[in-house]
Amino acid sequence: MRKPILLLALLLPAGVSGLGAQTEYYARLGAVGASNLLRDVIVNQITVRQSIAPMLALGASLPIGAQGYRAGIEGTLVSGKFHSSETGTETDLGTIRTGSVMVDLEGPLYRDFRWRAGLGVLQYWPKDKEGIFGTGGTARFLAGAGLDYRRPVLPAWDLMTSLRYDWHRFTTGELERRGFSQTQGVSRVSLSVGLSRSTRR
Amino acid sequence: MSRPMRWTAAALVVAGAACSDIATPIRIDFYEWRLIVPKASGSGEDSLTFHWPHSRIPVRIWVEDAADLPGNMPKAIAAWRAAFLYHEFDATVVSDSGTADVIVRASSAPGTQFARVRLHSALAPECAGATDLDISDDHTQLRLPVRIFINPSADPNSPGLPECLALTTTHELGHALGIWRHSVTPTDLMFVDPVVTAPSDRDLATAEMLYHVPANVEAVGR
Repeated sequence: MRKPILLLALLLPAGVSGLGAQTEYYARLGAVGASNLLRDVIVNQITVRQSIAPMLALGASLPIGAQGYRAGIEGTLVSGKFHSSETGTETDLGTIRTGSVMVDLEGPLYRDFRWRAGLGVLQYWPKDKEGIFGTGGTARFLAGAGLDYRRPVLPAWDLMTSLRYDWHRFTTGELERRGFSQTQGVSRVSLSVGLSRSTRR
Repeated sequence: MSRPMRWTAAALVVAGAACSDIATPIRIDFYEWRLIVPKASGSGEDSLTFHWPHSRIPVRIWVEDAADLPGNMPKAIAAWRAAFLYHEFDATVVSDSGTADVIVRASSAPGTQFARVRLHSALAPECAGATDLDISDDHTQLRLPVRIFINPSADPNSPGLPECLALTTTHELGHALGIWRHSVTPTDLMFVDPVVTAPSDRDLATAEMLYHVPANVEAVGR
């Protein structure tokens, strides 16, 4: 998984001969919300969830074929708090940062809307090695899909609005050490706005 | 099976896998932590459960600058904090004993002027420990501060003294965080005369469990 991502990351900025002008770059800022990272029961049910957090997304894509399809790579960085809830009481568990890299395929959908789907890796970086991250962060495989809407605002730039959904299965070394088995399905949804370097010339 | 049926079945399998939750461990390996005392009124017994509430975390601990306490207490705090997944307990060493929730002195436990309940422990020749709990007559309140005494009773050059002071400090902090009984298992740090140097998995599981059971003793004062 990591080799194709690395290859694409090296090829895209370099601009493969003849494709440089068709390479599209973009940057977006937005917010991401996630479902529960964990459900536990110690007398009562305890849930752990990330708070809605700011997100930075950077990406690039190249055309493939003549049907308007593109292959791309997108990275995101998210930093925010996470907390536990037990019988209505919330406890701040600290700060968690996540970074993802996803290789994806995109194509036309309707007018200025385009679809996108991809696979990648998500890394959790806890600020402190404690609690559920007592043995440190964790890397998880990620699958995602989304919608992009582009609207020309400048000769070479489009306003890009993106709605994304991605999914992974979560656990940590600390949870495994304590006897948690299987993993927790985690869904994330993000909405972001940014600029995309247009390929219309 | 027709093609649409196969796709539907596959989608249902994927959706089922996507929605399933992590499987929690079965937590049964803990021991009795409650203090059993004669009932405040009438016959029978009261089972007292105490843990520090969220509003008092981090617990403020003052330590006397003797008997390696300034070095041992942060390690003891870290050892117990490792029991918890959800930040149920934390403590910090403070410089002002006047505002501390827990006061730790390097001496033998004095007369019981501070204590209705004294938990004696660590009866090794090198050192001893005790934790005094000032519990109200009706058994509903713990008047702060909790007082811990770590007594380096042996020759200061005794080879086993540093280890004894370290494990006794961690043991007494276990009482202060709410384990108000001794384990009956020698491999637990909360055994009355502990020999292990760190909380066992059973000690940690006991601490974790007690922080999720409603307390019937409330900390007051300070």
